[in-house]
Amino acid sequence: MSDTPETEVAVLNVRSAVGIGVSFVIAAGALFALPTLQNTGIGFNTAFWLVSAVELVTALAIAYFVLNLHETRG
Amino acid sequence: MDPTVMQAGFDILGDGRPETLWLGIGTLLMLIGTFYFIAKGWGVTDEEAREYYAITILVPGIATAAYLSMFFGIGLTEVEVAGRGTLDIYYARYADWLFTTPLLLLDLALLAKVDRVTIGTLIGVDALMIVTGLIGALSQTMLARYSWWLVSTIAFIFVLYYLLTSLRSAAKRRSAEVQSTFNTLTVITAVLWTAYPILWIIGTEGAGVVGLGLETLGFMVLDVTAKVGFGFVLLSSRAILPDSDAPEPSAGEAATAD
Repeated sequence: MSDTPETEVAVLNVRSAVGIGVSFVIAAGALFALPTLQNTGIGFNTAFWLVSAVELVTALAIAYFVLNLHETRG
Repeated sequence: MDPTVMQAGFDILGDGRPETLWLGIGTLLMLIGTFYFIAKGWGVTDEEAREYYAITILVPGIATAAYLSMFFGIGLTEVEVAGRGTLDIYYARYADWLFTTPLLLLDLALLAKVDRVTIGTLIGVDALMIVTGLIGALSQTMLARYSWWLVSTIAFIFVLYYLLTSLRSAAKRRSAEVQSTFNTLTVITAVLWTAYPILWIIGTEGAGVVGLGLETLGFMVLDVTAKVGFGFVLLSSRAILPDSDAPEPSAGEAATAD
């Protein structure tokens, strides 16, 4: 076994990068989705809370993906 | 007071909404901010800086979509309020805040380098602040609206408390550059975010002292400053670079380096 410490390199976690992009697209799309949801017969309040939930969940997902944007490889 | 002043704006789309002027300007400014941050961050390879850029680009990015939906009237609804008649509520504003405020706080948390439990708590209280504000916006009696406003404002005070205690003390353990940037951004956040509940309570959704045009202008200025202005200060700072925690070189070391 060598005493030389291994060099750790932080590399971009592609899954997190894609997750950020997908979350953003879903969040942006949700801002325009309420009339479409209402056209399917859903009431305003339900559609509104659905859109709000999507915004919050995508923000949380982005926070998670950003915190895991890089992985260390030795 | 002159109602034309209180209803400031210009009906760009010809649909009877003078506030579309401010919503259109808001869309453009957010879009410019987004592309400026993308251009500034293009080619950045440092891992820490990348995280700040990712968050800070997404904030005005989603705000652009929110302002565009409000501009075209998609993010608008009407709520019947007892004793006040029908109120125009731009609900997309709240959806935007549900997405952007946790990310702005995440920027500050990353700068202060706090643990994930503190980040989770801060974002949880922030979500409570926005959701209770949302319930207030959709409530159909003024008593309910003011009550939810109060709950939301109390949650906001807790967010401020976390910023000024936990995050600030964590930031104090970092370099002078990080501390300075953190303090500037905390002041920006504290001052601007305090203006939101004040504008809400005097605006059309609250007491109705200020008309929809002026209210929309006010929110637009606050939104652009709190998102694009905040991002500009953060991304212009050396605090986002990895060696920002390194101690300042002494005069002797600096001379040797030269």
